[in-house]
Amino acid sequence: MKTRGFLTQLVKTLSPLYPMAKRLLYRFHGGVFPKYNKELSLRQPLREGYIPKQLILPLQQHMGLPALPCVELGESVKKFQLIAQAAKGLSAPVHAPTSGKIIAIEPRVLPHASGLAQPCIVIEPDGLDSAITNVLAVNTPPQTPEAFKQLILNAGIVGMGGAGFPTFAKLPNQPGLVEHLVINGAECEPFITCDDMLMQTHPDEIIRGAQLVAQMFGIPHVVCAIENNKPKAIEAMRQACADSQITITEVATVYPMGGQKQLIQEVLGIEVPSGKHTIDIGIVMMNIATLRAIAHAVDKGQPLVSRFVTVSGLGLEQPYNINALLGTPFDELIALAKPKQPIDYPLIMGGPMMGVKLADNHVPVVKTSNCILANPPEPVQAPMACIRCGECADACPINLQPQQLYWHAQAHEYEQAEKLNLFDCIECGCCSFVCPSHIPLVQYYRHAKSEVREIRAQAQLTEQAKQRHEARQARIERDKQERDAKLAAKKAAVKQQAAQDTQDKKTAQPAHQTAESNREDAPKLSARERAIQMAKARQQAAKASPEQTQPAEKPAAASDDKRKAAMEAAKARAAAKKAQAELSTDQPKQESEKPELSVEDKRKAAMEAAKARAAAKKAQQETAK
Amino acid sequence: MKSIYTSSPFAHNNSSVQKVMLQVQLAAFPALLAHILLFGYGIIIQWFLAVATALLVEYVMLKLRDKPVLPNVTDFSALITVTGLVFCIPPESPWWVIVSGSAFALVFGKHLYGGLGYNPFNPAMLGYAFLLISFPAEMTQWTLPKEIAGYSLSFWESFNHILFGAVAHAPIDSFTGATPLSAVKTGIQEGVSAQQMLQAPYLETGWWNLTAWGWINLAFLAGGAWLIYTRTIRWQYPVGFLGALGLMAWIFHSINPDLYAPVSFHLLFGGTMLAAFFIITDPVSSSTTPLGRLIYAAGIGVLVYVIRNWGAFPDGIAFAVLLLNIAVPLIDRYTQPRVLGHNR
Repeated sequence: MKTRGFLTQLVKTLSPLYPMAKRLLYRFHGGVFPKYNKELSLRQPLREGYIPKQLILPLQQHMGLPALPCVELGESVKKFQLIAQAAKGLSAPVHAPTSGKIIAIEPRVLPHASGLAQPCIVIEPDGLDSAITNVLAVNTPPQTPEAFKQLILNAGIVGMGGAGFPTFAKLPNQPGLVEHLVINGAECEPFITCDDMLMQTHPDEIIRGAQLVAQMFGIPHVVCAIENNKPKAIEAMRQACADSQITITEVATVYPMGGQKQLIQEVLGIEVPSGKHTIDIGIVMMNIATLRAIAHAVDKGQPLVSRFVTVSGLGLEQPYNINALLGTPFDELIALAKPKQPIDYPLIMGGPMMGVKLADNHVPVVKTSNCILANPPEPVQAPMACIRCGECADACPINLQPQQLYWHAQAHEYEQAEKLNLFDCIECGCCSFVCPSHIPLVQYYRHAKSEVREIRAQAQLTEQAKQRHEARQARIERDKQERDAKLAAKKAAVKQQAAQDTQDKKTAQPAHQTAESNREDAPKLSARERAIQMAKARQQAAKASPEQTQPAEKPAAASDDKRKAAMEAAKARAAAKKAQAELSTDQPKQESEKPELSVEDKRKAAMEAAKARAAAKKAQQETAK
Repeated sequence: MKSIYTSSPFAHNNSSVQKVMLQVQLAAFPALLAHILLFGYGIIIQWFLAVATALLVEYVMLKLRDKPVLPNVTDFSALITVTGLVFCIPPESPWWVIVSGSAFALVFGKHLYGGLGYNPFNPAMLGYAFLLISFPAEMTQWTLPKEIAGYSLSFWESFNHILFGAVAHAPIDSFTGATPLSAVKTGIQEGVSAQQMLQAPYLETGWWNLTAWGWINLAFLAGGAWLIYTRTIRWQYPVGFLGALGLMAWIFHSINPDLYAPVSFHLLFGGTMLAAFFIITDPVSSSTTPLGRLIYAAGIGVLVYVIRNWGAFPDGIAFAVLLLNIAVPLIDRYTQPRVLGHNR
């Protein structure tokens, strides 16, 4: 600790001389020092109580399945009232942020790069803001982890740092499985100060949330990491947790300090193994805003209906922070900040490093919107050839070789890119930030990743088709063999009949002997076979070509049978899909001990999916026939 | 693919290829100044000839390759290539040496491979190797430092000599001679010990007991330090190269001081510092992994020593660099750093 303090001091003295010395101040590799511009939005006091003309509440503000509306058009709702239930599986409910009337349930454009419209509930506020108290009906704090998780789910709490993963799904089902709770107050993206503001104004609630989680899940070590460019927040948090076990750690100001893997490496010295979740190694990380929402849910019975949002950017006169109701349109919040020029350019949700450029500026604040950024567009430098300078590799917090990944991604050599650990990339954008050739590196990796996923999906489909084809071939072969066997049996039967007929006239005994001399089951089989074959033979006799009977028959009965078969096939397919979806998303609902599926459950689900797939295949084959 | 340019990040640290190249050019100025002071104005004339050739070649090649001329010429990579080459050739060599060398370096070293970023070989060293093999006589006639020759050529004398081969009052031999590297090499071959050779008068004179060569090398060192400070080049190159060369020199000098020159001689004569900071640091043709850079640079250091002592040429930087350029894909492949969260 002493050497670290000395090092910090030394580097601080050196850094005006050699800025890159700052890289010695933290544990992870690489990282960049962008222009932070955080002071812009900290000049104005926090705004509260703004109620817009309309609130647009997307049914999906989180990872997983969209919520299901449970209000009618024209219905009056009160603040905190449940308006959309969580779907089964990984989902989160939506509550009314203020009182008012439901004026529409229709697709609206979401804050997403695609600009696609998705179902939203639109509320026209009545301005009264009349609320239901303790809507979550918490009379005594939850006593078991299950009840705690259920409450978090009911409150609609999702990770508010940006990913929007439903929080209940992150937590285990029993205490003692988590070693460290890391509270993420790093906020490493430029411009964004909403977490800073929240820590300054409501440190008690954050600490309360952390204590609740730590007590419920028996977490011995709780640490809160804050970048050292937020001295006021650090001071406030230190005071708030003075008489608790929680420690506040100052971490160096470097992007991407707030990344999950980076912050864990920094404060715990642990590397999250590639491809694993933090919970696998006994670590849970939560954003400070999420913890505050948990405190509200447990202590007041309040669901998540608002969040701190930074409204900032170089194109604004008065950037500010606001405790905004979910569903508040971006353009209204931007107008409050007095734009320097009309906003005729796309806004960015999030920070400049990992944010999303919006296709439409009239989109609502959702549970994951930490920042609305209005930066006037700058001329884009045309990318030049890579000169292999290695700046990107020096900046990569994962220690990848971005330049090599880029060559492979550009050449569509995705296998090579995967070998160079393409899927370990956290898409922080440091490589693009430092590239002197202005190559959109991280953008290439995103593209490559989606291509690889596409290729994998295609390969799976091809494999399925192959299996179907092979199964069909096998069935045709089996049918043929059966047919041949039947034919042979029939011939034998005819012969036998003939023989019997002749023998019957003389004596019955020899015929039985010949039958028994074949096989034990031969008489039974031949008897059944005989009846079928007789019927078939009669039918065949009526037709010209006996082998093509079935196809020739088809057109007559075709339309009805086909439709039925197709319907059945579709049903089976749907069932298969459902089973698969449950396998991938239903995990938290499972009553296994960890949030992840236990091996057994996975196997069960997989088996069910396989069964359903087989049924689908069968039905399909029948339609094909 | 258009969407690729509209997704994050929306910030940049304002670096650019142009800035990188100009940084290198700036860092070469101390050495250029020393060169002028010690060897006269020849290098200026050579530099202008080289730049003119580069502009012409770039224009023609870009036109032939159907590429936009302005953005590609203004990446300044050709400037760096010819600057490197100019420092390698004798200051008073005839004009067609630098012109053909620059043209060869740019055409065969860069454009035929697809332009900047795609060349497997260091263009400057390719051009230099071409000159060494094609015009061996011209390449060894190095201008003698002022102190030794007794006088120096004026700008116009240099100009006339380079362009028209004419010198009014003195034959070329009176102001040019073998470089110390080749002099020592020849001496050792003739049975004179390395130490005796280094006692020779023209290797001793100079300010503060440093020869003209020593001063130029120190000037390159100063420029190189600036490049490392500004992160234009990586420390692995000079450390690996000078370390390996120095270590080789130390080992062999310790074994037999008569046959092998001391460490200081190898580090301060010839193109050692030029190579360490300006030649082998060309990122395009060198290894990109941190460990790979060290191996690449050390490999060049070892080869330079080998060629200087046992090869056919007095200095082996060009060949050492080209040989290691070939090994770069292999080095890159086997020096992948450990990715976070993967096994050690």
